Amino acid sequence: MGEILKVSNVEKYYGNKGSLTKALDRVSFSVSEGEFTGIMGSSGSGKTTLLNCISTIDSVTAGNVIIRGADITRMNSRSLAKFRREELGFMFQDYNLLDTLTGFENIILPLTIAGENHRSAVDKVNEVAKRLEISEILEKYPYEMSGGQRQRIAAARAIITGPALILADEPTGALDSKSARMLMECLESLNTGMRATILMVTHDAFTASYCHRILFIKDGKIFNELVRGADTRKEFFGKIIEVVTLLGGDAANVL
Amino acid sequence: MYFKLSLRNVRKSFSDYALYFLTLTFGVCVFYVFNSIEAQKAMMHISSSAQQIMKTITWLMDGVSVFVSFILGFLIVYANNFLIRRRKREFGIYMTLGMEKGKISRILISETFIIGVFSLAAGLFAGVFLSQWLSVVTAKLFEASMAEYRFIFSLSALLKTILYFGIIFVIAIVTSTVVISKYKLIDLINSIKQNETPKIKNPAVTTVLFILSVLLIGTAYRLVLKNGIASFDRMLAFECVLGAAGTFLFFASLSGFFLGLFKANRSRYFSGLNMFIMRQINSRINTAHISMSFICLMLFVTIGIFSTGLGITKVLNKGFRDAAPFDVSLSVEKDADLSAILSEHGVKLSDYSDSFIQYKEYSFKDDSLTLGTVLSKVEDQIPPEGRDTVIKRMYPMPVKLIRLSDYNRLMELSGKPGLSLSGSQAALLTQYAWSEADLQSLLENYISQGSHLNIGGADYSVYPRLLTEGIVNNGYDIFVLVVPDEAVQKSAVSGSVLCFNMRADSVAAQDRFEDALMAKGIPARCVSKNSVLAQAAGSKAIISFVCIYVGIIFLITSAAVLALQQLSEAADNKHRYAILKKIGADNGLLSRTILKQIAIYFMIPLALACVHSIVGIKVANDAIRQIGSLNAALNIVITAAAILLIYGTYFVATYLGSKKIILRN
Ligand SMILES: Nc1ncnc2c1ncn2[C@@H]1O[C@H](COP(=O)(O)OP(=O)(O)OP(=O)(O)O)[C@@H](O)[C@H]1O
Ligand SMILES: [Mg+2]
Repeated sequence: MGEILKVSNVEKYYGNKGSLTKALDRVSFSVSEGEFTGIMGSSGSGKTTLLNCISTIDSVTAGNVIIRGADITRMNSRSLAKFRREELGFMFQDYNLLDTLTGFENIILPLTIAGENHRSAVDKVNEVAKRLEISEILEKYPYEMSGGQRQRIAAARAIITGPALILADEPTGALDSKSARMLMECLESLNTGMRATILMVTHDAFTASYCHRILFIKDGKIFNELVRGADTRKEFFGKIIEVVTLLGGDAANVL
Repeated sequence: MYFKLSLRNVRKSFSDYALYFLTLTFGVCVFYVFNSIEAQKAMMHISSSAQQIMKTITWLMDGVSVFVSFILGFLIVYANNFLIRRRKREFGIYMTLGMEKGKISRILISETFIIGVFSLAAGLFAGVFLSQWLSVVTAKLFEASMAEYRFIFSLSALLKTILYFGIIFVIAIVTSTVVISKYKLIDLINSIKQNETPKIKNPAVTTVLFILSVLLIGTAYRLVLKNGIASFDRMLAFECVLGAAGTFLFFASLSGFFLGLFKANRSRYFSGLNMFIMRQINSRINTAHISMSFICLMLFVTIGIFSTGLGITKVLNKGFRDAAPFDVSLSVEKDADLSAILSEHGVKLSDYSDSFIQYKEYSFKDDSLTLGTVLSKVEDQIPPEGRDTVIKRMYPMPVKLIRLSDYNRLMELSGKPGLSLSGSQAALLTQYAWSEADLQSLLENYISQGSHLNIGGADYSVYPRLLTEGIVNNGYDIFVLVVPDEAVQKSAVSGSVLCFNMRADSVAAQDRFEDALMAKGIPARCVSKNSVLAQAAGSKAIISFVCIYVGIIFLITSAAVLALQQLSEAADNKHRYAILKKIGADNGLLSRTILKQIAIYFMIPLALACVHSIVGIKVANDAIRQIGSLNAALNIVITAAAILLIYGTYFVATYLGSKKIILRN
């Protein structure tokens, strides 16, 4: 199994010389192909910052981020956009769907931007939609969909280009527990069925329990790592709760 | 405190305000300039007739300014409310933090006040300088020599500008206060949620509406092309209503129709960000179509008045020299010795001039030689619109004859070569070749037929060249015949004319002569070069000033409304472009998308306005043909250049502004 992502000694500072925030402090880890990795940590610990640095939306202060052998910290903005288009898929807490486009059009957008032929693009959309069970809602506008449906549309958009890495920032953050479960099952099937590599930030221990491995971040540093191994999801969930409690505050705070 | 807060707001959102501010400044500037015309005459050496005309121009500008202030007032109130709506969210936050509506209103009032004061000051400053330039143009129009250069400043125009714009700003402040007082906190907070629900219209309905709109516009075109615009009647009003209704319907259904059409072409639709652009425009045009329609109609009016206005001044420009070949001409419609009459009344010609010419006009009492004798030979070339009138009114009028010796003396006085005719030749002369291209070609055609005329029983061949020199100031006749002296023997004298040029300072002398004539009550028609010139220059000035004034105001108003809408849309779209960027669109693609989107918004109203204008200009041309032909092509080029410059500037500024808003992190 090849290494898809390698983060080494990444640092990210915010602010000027007067007031400096170390949002990321010498973070290093790697993700191999087909892995489903979670990142947890309390609010303000630097999760979003880490994801933004990996997703090329933000630039690092020091260190390297290597995705499929390419060091994205050394790319110019033009090749970054191309790289984002070809190698990365995104999911966000607030979906980030375009409200003026239908579900179908939202999903096909990354392909049209990449200049793909419309026939094969349409076929791909229909195929992904079938897999994520959203074929019925493709012609609806985002405002006509439920939160869970929107997030599945976003998931479809994230994987449509067959990216090396799918990055998700609290994808279940705005969903109720039932929708969250459906979405996570859906991501799980993408991971196992299509061998998609997923890196997901979450607050929620239940959501995190779908991952193979969890990285805990505190004050911009990797603080702990938890691997699911042969555990059932329930057992893994219990372990996560333990670490979270250890991290600070009690479990009730996190759930 | 509020003043400071609002000053900071204005400074912070300067780029939002910049276009608005510049538009206001430009409006104030134009307003001042066209109201300061009265003061300009101080600098010029002009005749009393020109002064009279200047009064008329000033009076007319007063009227137009009222109209213009309505347009600018609309723009200011609209822009003001627009900027408030843009900032609903900011106000919502102030209010949740416990700020009262009254205080928010006060912030707004100070903002409007700041912008108002600054744009007034800047506009007046620019206006004072620009009016110097306009006074040079006016002096050129009136062919007046600049008495001496003096800095022109019109206090009355300054006060008037301040008064009018003061009233407009007060109205803007009142309406914004009313708007704010109507807002509920819940609306302000909810405006944070971006997902407005796009109204999607039934494609079948939009297609039917679109076809209907095209039919309406087409019918209006056909009717107006058939009926012309020579008379302002109920039919014309109906055609205008039809065209306007068609325009509104057109914009209401356009985007839906094209979205449908575009979607059918899947490879086009699913290429790059085309789909995004189409949806974007479709979602906005549903709400923007009313302003789009108004903008289209305003642009149409602008193009129309610019190009026809320019055309008319060209026509008027060309020929007043031929219309007034001498400084003064006196005429009566009987056989009289005009110089004797003058000295009887105590007006000595020698006080004014060294030499003068008197001549007589002759005609036949019976209808053996009438205008119809000549015109009926080329009747089929008379434009069909005017044919009936020409046949009824002009045909029965007798042709006037001028003796060749008189003609040659007149040519000598005006320093032009004389003419020699064989004993059996008669020459056609028209003084209006410069303005009436149709008439000129008609007469030339008649001449080229090698016609013969029967004058007092004898046969005369027509001299092979059309004479176009002036023989009297503002003559009534569309053409006369110059004949060998003996040919007039059997005719009767129908009028007497006296022409002369002034010895010294012609402008002042003409005024003095006219005053003397007036004082003595001499019963003769006196036409001075001054008055011909003042009238020509006056109508030219009136038409071009009104056209430029109204045209510029319309143009900047429509461009500013479009720009404001687009800039605010850019702010709304910021998050959409951010999404596009996240899913891999690079800055180049985003810039191109922004450009396309704004270009479509700017182009669509202009495109329909151009189509309207093609019809409008054609119709106007037909109407104006009767006083002369417009050189349409050149005027359209000039108009296009003016529009491209102003509208294009707004377009570029909007594009750069939007790009900055959207791509800035
Ligand atoms: N643009 C910024 N400018 C300055 N500081 C920032 C910026 N973005 C984040 N920070 C700081 O960096 C630190 C990490 O922020 P980050 O958004 O990564 O937290 P997070 O782990 O995602 O928190 P949450 O769970 O609340 O989303 C915080 O202390 C935050 O204040
Ligand atoms: Mg976060």
